[in-house]
Amino acid sequence: MSTLIEELAAICGAQSVSDKMVDRICHTRDCGPTPGGVPAVVVRPRTTQQVSDIVKLANRVKTPIFIWGRSTTFIGHGIREGCMLMALDLMNKIERMDFDNQVVTVETGAIWHAVDVELGKHGWELAAPGPGGLFVCTLGGSVAYNAVPHGLLEYGMTGDGVVALQVVLPNGNIVYTGSMGNRAAGGLAFERYANGPDLAGLFIGSCGVFGVITKVCFKIHRKPEKECFAFYGFDSLDIAVDAAHALQRRQVPTHLVGLFGGPKPTGVAGDAFLHIVIRDGAASAAERLAAAHAICSGFNGIRHDETATEKYWVNHMYSWLRNTPPEVYYSDRPYTCPEAAMFLPTQKVKDAMRYLFNYEKQHAAEFSRYGIRIKAYDVYFSRNAAFLWIDTLYPELDSEAWQYGIQMRADYSEHLFREYASPGGILAPLAPHIMPKLEGGFEFLRFLKDQMDPNHILNPGVLMLGD
Amino acid sequence: MQDKQRSIDRVKDIVYQCNRCAHCFDLSWLGEWNKCPAYRYGVFESYTGRGRFFIARALVDGGMDYNADIAQRVFACTECRACAEHCFKYLRTTDIYAAMKEDLAARGLVPPNLAAGLADEGGLGQYHNVYQAPHAERLAWLPDRARVDKSAQVVFFVGCTSSYARQNMALDTYNLLAKFGVDFTVLSDEWCCGHPYLSAGETDKARASIEHNIEAIGKVGATLIIFNCPGCQRAFRDDWRTLTGQAAPFAARHVVELLADWVARGKIGVQRFRPKTIVTYHDPCVLGRWMGIYDAPRDLIKAIPGLSLIEMPRNRRDAYCCGAGGMIRYDFEEMANLAGAERIAEAQRVGADMVLSACPACVMQLQQSRQRAKSRMKVMDLTELLEQQLIPLRIAS
Repeated sequence: MSTLIEELAAICGAQSVSDKMVDRICHTRDCGPTPGGVPAVVVRPRTTQQVSDIVKLANRVKTPIFIWGRSTTFIGHGIREGCMLMALDLMNKIERMDFDNQVVTVETGAIWHAVDVELGKHGWELAAPGPGGLFVCTLGGSVAYNAVPHGLLEYGMTGDGVVALQVVLPNGNIVYTGSMGNRAAGGLAFERYANGPDLAGLFIGSCGVFGVITKVCFKIHRKPEKECFAFYGFDSLDIAVDAAHALQRRQVPTHLVGLFGGPKPTGVAGDAFLHIVIRDGAASAAERLAAAHAICSGFNGIRHDETATEKYWVNHMYSWLRNTPPEVYYSDRPYTCPEAAMFLPTQKVKDAMRYLFNYEKQHAAEFSRYGIRIKAYDVYFSRNAAFLWIDTLYPELDSEAWQYGIQMRADYSEHLFREYASPGGILAPLAPHIMPKLEGGFEFLRFLKDQMDPNHILNPGVLMLGD
Repeated sequence: MQDKQRSIDRVKDIVYQCNRCAHCFDLSWLGEWNKCPAYRYGVFESYTGRGRFFIARALVDGGMDYNADIAQRVFACTECRACAEHCFKYLRTTDIYAAMKEDLAARGLVPPNLAAGLADEGGLGQYHNVYQAPHAERLAWLPDRARVDKSAQVVFFVGCTSSYARQNMALDTYNLLAKFGVDFTVLSDEWCCGHPYLSAGETDKARASIEHNIEAIGKVGATLIIFNCPGCQRAFRDDWRTLTGQAAPFAARHVVELLADWVARGKIGVQRFRPKTIVTYHDPCVLGRWMGIYDAPRDLIKAIPGLSLIEMPRNRRDAYCCGAGGMIRYDFEEMANLAGAERIAEAQRVGADMVLSACPACVMQLQQSRQRAKSRMKVMDLTELLEQQLIPLRIAS
C-alpha cells in the first residue's frame, strides 16, 4: 500500500492523497441507505492528466477505482472495500462561457447551481435548471448518472443538454466527443452529433463504468422573460393523471409535477395535485398559462394559491410542493430515504399508484411496527412519459426497520420493472432488478465493459458490469 | 472498545439523521465556493460537517474509536455554525461536534497548545483569562475605579480580549455607556466567560467559570449585562441554559443591540462621518448565526450619514468565518490565517474602504489578516466607530 500511496502522491501531490481511516470513512456511501465498503485510499486529482495517470496506475496495480463527484444520489454508490476512491470535486472550474455557440464548458466537479449563477450574470442559464441536488451536485456526476432535472417536460434529461464531453477511458486514454473530437479543427464544442457515432451517449447515464467524465460542455440558453405558476387539486388520482396527460400532450408546461401520495399539501383541497411551471416570453407564457388553466378547469381542477409552486421553483425546496416551509417539513425527519425512481407511460401512473397504495395496505402492520413513512409518490412529467419517484422513509437507527426498508424497495422495484417501468439512474442496489431484464442489451454492455475495461478498473459492479 | 459514558452516544439520533447531502460545506452558488474554513484548510471531506457526521456515525456504530486523527478533524473547527445554518435537515451539527470534543477531552486528546492554554496550572485555570496575564491587571485600562463593584442595574462584562489584548475596545464600550448616562459597574473578579472551555470540550470547567461570574454579578444586583464580545454574551445568554437547563438571572445584551434600540427610538444623536466612506460589515459567527443578531449592527451603520454599507457576497447567515473562532489559532494557525486572508480578500473585492465588525476576536483577527495582506483597508470594531459618531441628543440639537 505504501508504494501505491507514493505513486499517487507523485501524480497529485502528497496533500491530495490520504490513506487515513478518518478520511476514507467519509467516502463510503452516498445519501442512500446502503453502506458501502471502506476505500483503501482517497485521491483528489485536479487535472485531467492526473486522472489519466491515476487510471493507468490503477490498471498496473489492478486496483479498482470508484469515482466520487459529490455523491448526492439516494440509491447507493456501491463502493467496494479496499478500492481507490477518486474524488473529482476539486476539478470545479468554469472554463469557458461561449455565448456565440451557446455552450458552457466546465470541469467535471463544477457545481450545477454555481455554473447557473455565473451564467445568470450575463442573462443566460444552463439548458436545464438542474436536478434536486442542484446546490451541491456536480455537472459531471449529474451527466454520468443522467439525473432527472427540473423542467423535464420542456428541457429534457440532463443528457439532452450535453454538447460534448472530455472523458478518460478505462485504459487512461483521453477522448473527446462530438465536435470537440475534431482536434485538427481546434476541438470546439458546438455540436454533439458531429464526427460519427454519438460517443457522449455511451457515457451519459453509465455511472462511470465506461470512462471518467472530466469536462462537460453543456447547452445554455437565455433566461426566459417570464415565469408563471399554477397549482391545482383534483378529486381523484385518475382525473389528475388525465389532466397531466392533456397538459403534457399539448406541451403546455415547462415543468409539471404530480403529487399522488405521501403527505398532502397543507391547507388545500383535493386528493391529487399538479404543480405547473411555465417559462417563456411574456406573451407566450400568458397564453400557455391560460391554456393550463383551461385544461385543469376542464378536469374540474380546484385552483389553489400558486405561491407554493413559485416558492418551490425559486427556492428549489421540495417542501413547498406540499405548501410547507422547509424548516417545518425537513426538521421532523429522523429517517433515511431509499429512493427508487423510474420512467413509465403516463397512463400507467394510475396502475403504479394503485399497486403502491395496495402495497401500503397489505403491509400496514409492518409500516406501523417499523415506523415507515411515505415521503412522496411524486411524478415529474417528461415530453413522452412520467418519471415516478418512490420515496419511503424509515428510521435507520432500527436495524430491523432498515432491513425492511431495503426489502420494500426491492419488492416494488422488481414488480414495477417487470410490469411497465424502467429506471432512470441505476446504481448498485437497483442494478440486479433491471440489468438482467435487458437481456441482449445487458450482454452488449458486458461485452463493451470487458473490451474497454478488461481489468474492471472503473466502478466495477455499479451496473452489474465488471464483476 | 467502547465505554458506556460517551457523549456521542447521547446524540446518536442526530448522527443518524444526517442524509449526507453536502449542503453543509458548499456555497458555490454564491460565487464563493466554500462556506467551511476547515474544509478550506484540510481539503479532505473529513474536515467538513458531512465528514464529521461520517466519523460520528463510525464512532456510534463501532467502526472507529477516538484517536488523534479524529481530534485533528474535530478541533480544526472555528465553530462558525455555517454547516448548521445550511443543513438541509436543520440538524444541530454543533451538538455533535461538542459531544465529540467532550469525549476527546475525556481521553486527553485535546490538541497540545489548546490543552496547555486552558490548563489549571499555568493556563486559563490559573489566570482566569486566555492571555495568561495577571488577574490583577484585568482592569488596568479602567479610567475610574469608582465604577468597580458598585451596586448598579447594569454590568459591563469586559471579557478577556478587551481587558488584555484590545483595551481600546473596553474603553470605547465604557465611554459609550458613560456618555449616555448608563448606571453601570464593572467587576473586579470577572473571570473568563467559559467560552474557551466549551471549545475544548471542558464542559464542567465552563460551567464553573460561568457560575463564578453569575455569583459576582449577583453581588452588585444587576439585571442587565452588556457585552462587546459575542462569545461572552452567548456563554450567559445561551450556553448557561444548555449546561444547566436554567436561564441566567439577568438579561444579556450586546452593546450594539442596546445602541441600535436607542438610535431607532431617537434617544441619541448621530454625527456625519467624514470623508464619505464605503464600509462593509463582517458578521461575527457567534453574534450572527449563533444568536441571530444581524440587523442591529447594520441599522447602526446605516444610521450614520457619510457611510455607505456594501455587503460582501457571503453575508448574514452565509457569512464566511474570519478564522478567529473555536480557539483554533492555538493549534491550527495556518487555518486561521487562511480564513482571515480569504475574508479580507472578499472585503477588498467589494471595494470597501473599511471593514467593521462587532467582536473583539474578529476585529483582532481581521486586523492581523489585513496587515499580512498589506491592505490599506481599515478594520475597526463598531464600538470604536460608534464612540466617535454617537452623541447625546442635547449636543446633537
